[in-house]
Amino acid sequence: MENASKSPLANEPLLRIEGVSKIYDGHIKAVDQVTLNVASGEIFALLGGSGCGKSTLLRMLAGFETPSQGRIYLGGTDITELPAYQRPINMMFQSYALFPHLSVSDNIAFGLRRDGMAKEAIAERVEAMLKLVQLSQYAKRKPHQLSGGQQQRVALARSIAKQPKLLLLDEPLGALDKKLRVSTQIELVNIIEEVGVTCVLVTHDQEEAMTMATRMAVMSAGSFLQVGSPKAIYQQPNSRQVADFIGSVNIFDGPVKENHTHYLLVQCADALLRVPSIQACHDGIAVGVAIRPEKMALSRKKPTAKINHVSGVITEMTYFGAHTSYHVKLASGKVLQVQVQSQADEDNADLSWGDQVYVSWGDSAMVLLTQ
Amino acid sequence: MNSTALKWFGRSWMLLVYAFLFLPIFTLVAYSFNDSQLVTVWSHASLRWYKALMQDSDLIAAVMLSLKIAFLSALISVFFGLFSAFALHRYRRFTGRGLLSSLASTPLVMPDVIVGLSLLLMLVSVQQALGYPERGLFTILLGHALLGTAYATVVVRSRLTEMDSKLEEAAMDLGCRPWQVFTLVTLPLLMPALLSAFLLTFTLSFDDVVLSSFLSGPGYSTMPMVIFSRARLGLNPSINALATVTIVIVSVVVIASTLYSLRQDRQRKRDIALAQHE
Repeated sequence: MENASKSPLANEPLLRIEGVSKIYDGHIKAVDQVTLNVASGEIFALLGGSGCGKSTLLRMLAGFETPSQGRIYLGGTDITELPAYQRPINMMFQSYALFPHLSVSDNIAFGLRRDGMAKEAIAERVEAMLKLVQLSQYAKRKPHQLSGGQQQRVALARSIAKQPKLLLLDEPLGALDKKLRVSTQIELVNIIEEVGVTCVLVTHDQEEAMTMATRMAVMSAGSFLQVGSPKAIYQQPNSRQVADFIGSVNIFDGPVKENHTHYLLVQCADALLRVPSIQACHDGIAVGVAIRPEKMALSRKKPTAKINHVSGVITEMTYFGAHTSYHVKLASGKVLQVQVQSQADEDNADLSWGDQVYVSWGDSAMVLLTQ
Repeated sequence: MNSTALKWFGRSWMLLVYAFLFLPIFTLVAYSFNDSQLVTVWSHASLRWYKALMQDSDLIAAVMLSLKIAFLSALISVFFGLFSAFALHRYRRFTGRGLLSSLASTPLVMPDVIVGLSLLLMLVSVQQALGYPERGLFTILLGHALLGTAYATVVVRSRLTEMDSKLEEAAMDLGCRPWQVFTLVTLPLLMPALLSAFLLTFTLSFDDVVLSSFLSGPGYSTMPMVIFSRARLGLNPSINALATVTIVIVSVVVIASTLYSLRQDRQRKRDIALAQHE
C-alpha cells in the first residue's frame, strides 16, 4: 500500500507539501499534517466531501491562505510565505471568476499584462489560447454573453495563459450540468496534457477524480485517508471510509475466526468467508470484508464452491441498459447491492422480485478492511 | 362583491393614489404658466413668471450655490463612502471597526434637526477657540458631506457584499498586487454603485433645508432655504416656475436613464439567450 510520505518518486518532485496544517481559531484543524509529493506532469486529485479540508489545502497552494504549520516547496523553492501574486501558480475557480467588465480576450490577457509582456507577444499568446480552447470567434464577447461550457473554457485559457508551473482546478466541472460534464472532462484533460502543465484538482465527485487524475488522495477531516492511483484506490481501499466513498460497496462485518498463512476465515452473520490475505490478524478481531457490486454474480442454482456465497431474496431490481442492479436481502436483514452485466445476465433473464437467489464472488473480489 | 366590482374598485383605488401623488405636481406646473399675482387664482396663460425667474438674482444665486454644494458634497461623500465601505467590508477585525460601522450608519437614523444642532454647537465652539471656520459654504458642505458619506457607505457596501470575492482572488492569482486588484477589478465593478451613490447624495444635499439652516451664515442661502423663507412671506409664482424647470430636468434625466438601462437589460438577455443557443 502506498503511503503519502513515501511516494515512489525518484527525483525532486515539482510540488512538495511537508506537514502542512491550517488551524482556525486556535483549535479547528481544517488541514491536519498533510504531506504530499506531486511529480511534474501529474494530474493529482484531492477528493473528499465538503468540509474535509481539500479546498483549504488548495487555497494554501494558491497563496490565499498561509499554513499554520509546515512548508510548501515548488520545484525545490520554499513558497510557503510567497504572496499569491508572486507564485508561478494559477487557478481555475469553481465559478470561473471571469471579470465581467472585460472581454474574453482581455480576461485571458489580464495575467500576461501584469507581467509587463510586450503588446504583440500578449496578442499572439491570447490568440493561441483562444485557438486551444476553440473560442477564437468569441474573443470580443463579454463573459455573460457565453454559455456555461464556453465560460469554463475561457477560465481554463486564462489560467494557463501565463504558463504556470502548477495549475490548480477548483471543482472544474462543478458548475456544469451533468450532460456537459462527461465530454468536458475528456476535453479538459486533453488540453492539460497538450500544454503539459502539472495539475492539482479538487473535487467531491469521485467519477470526476477517477477519469481525470493520474493519482489521487482521499481526504477526510483534514488529512489523507489514502493516496494512490484511481485504480489502486478503487480495488484496494485501505479503510471502510475510502471503500464507502469511492463507488458503491458491500461490506460484511465479523470477527476473524481462524488465521492461516494465505487466508483468514471471517465469521459473518450470513456466511463464513475465506478471505485471501497476507496480513496476519489476531483471532477475534473485528474486520470488514468489502466486495464491489459488479464483482458479484447471481444465480438460482447453488454454487458448486463450498464457501464465499450467500443466499437471499431479491427485493428490488433496476434495469440500466448496460447492466442491471439488484438488491438482495439476506437472512440477517442485510441488503446486498449486486450489479450484473446485461450480456452475462441472459441466464437470469426471468429473475424477478421475491425470487430466492445465491450471490457468489471470486477470491480476488474481497478486500480486507481492518480500519 | 363579484369580480367585476372588485376589478373596478381596484382600478379606482389606483387612480386615487396616482391623483394624490401627482395632482399637486400638475397643479404646480399649471400655475407656473398663470399670469395672476396669486398662486391660487387662475387668470390666463403667460410666461410672466419665467421672465421674473430669470431676473430674480437672489433665487438664481441660491440655485447656483445649491448646485455647487450638492456637487461638491456628493464628490466628497462618494470618496469617503467608498473607502469606509471598503474598509468595513474587507477588514473583518480592526480596532474601532464597531465604532466606525455604527458611526457610518448613525446619520441615517438620527433626525436631521439633532445632527444640525450638534454640528452647529460644535462649529460655534471651534470657531470661538480657533477663529475658524466662518459659517457659510464650507460649513454647509461639511454637514451635507457628513450625511452623504453615511448614505454612500451603505450603497457601496451593499454592492461590495453582493460582489463575488473570488474575482479579487482571481486578480491576485493572475499577478495583481493589492492596489492593482483595487484599481483594475474592484473599482470598475463598483462604478454603477458609485454613480448611484453620487446621484443619491447629490439629491440629498440639493433638497436639504434643515442642516443648511443650522449651518449657513449670512449671505449663504441655498435654494430650498430661499423657497422656504419666501413661502412664509407668501408664495411668489416664480417659485412655481423654478419648480417646473427642476421637474423637467429631473424627469428627462430619470426617463433617459430608465430607457438606457432597459435597453441594456434587453440586449444582455438577448446575448445570453444567443449564447445558450450556440
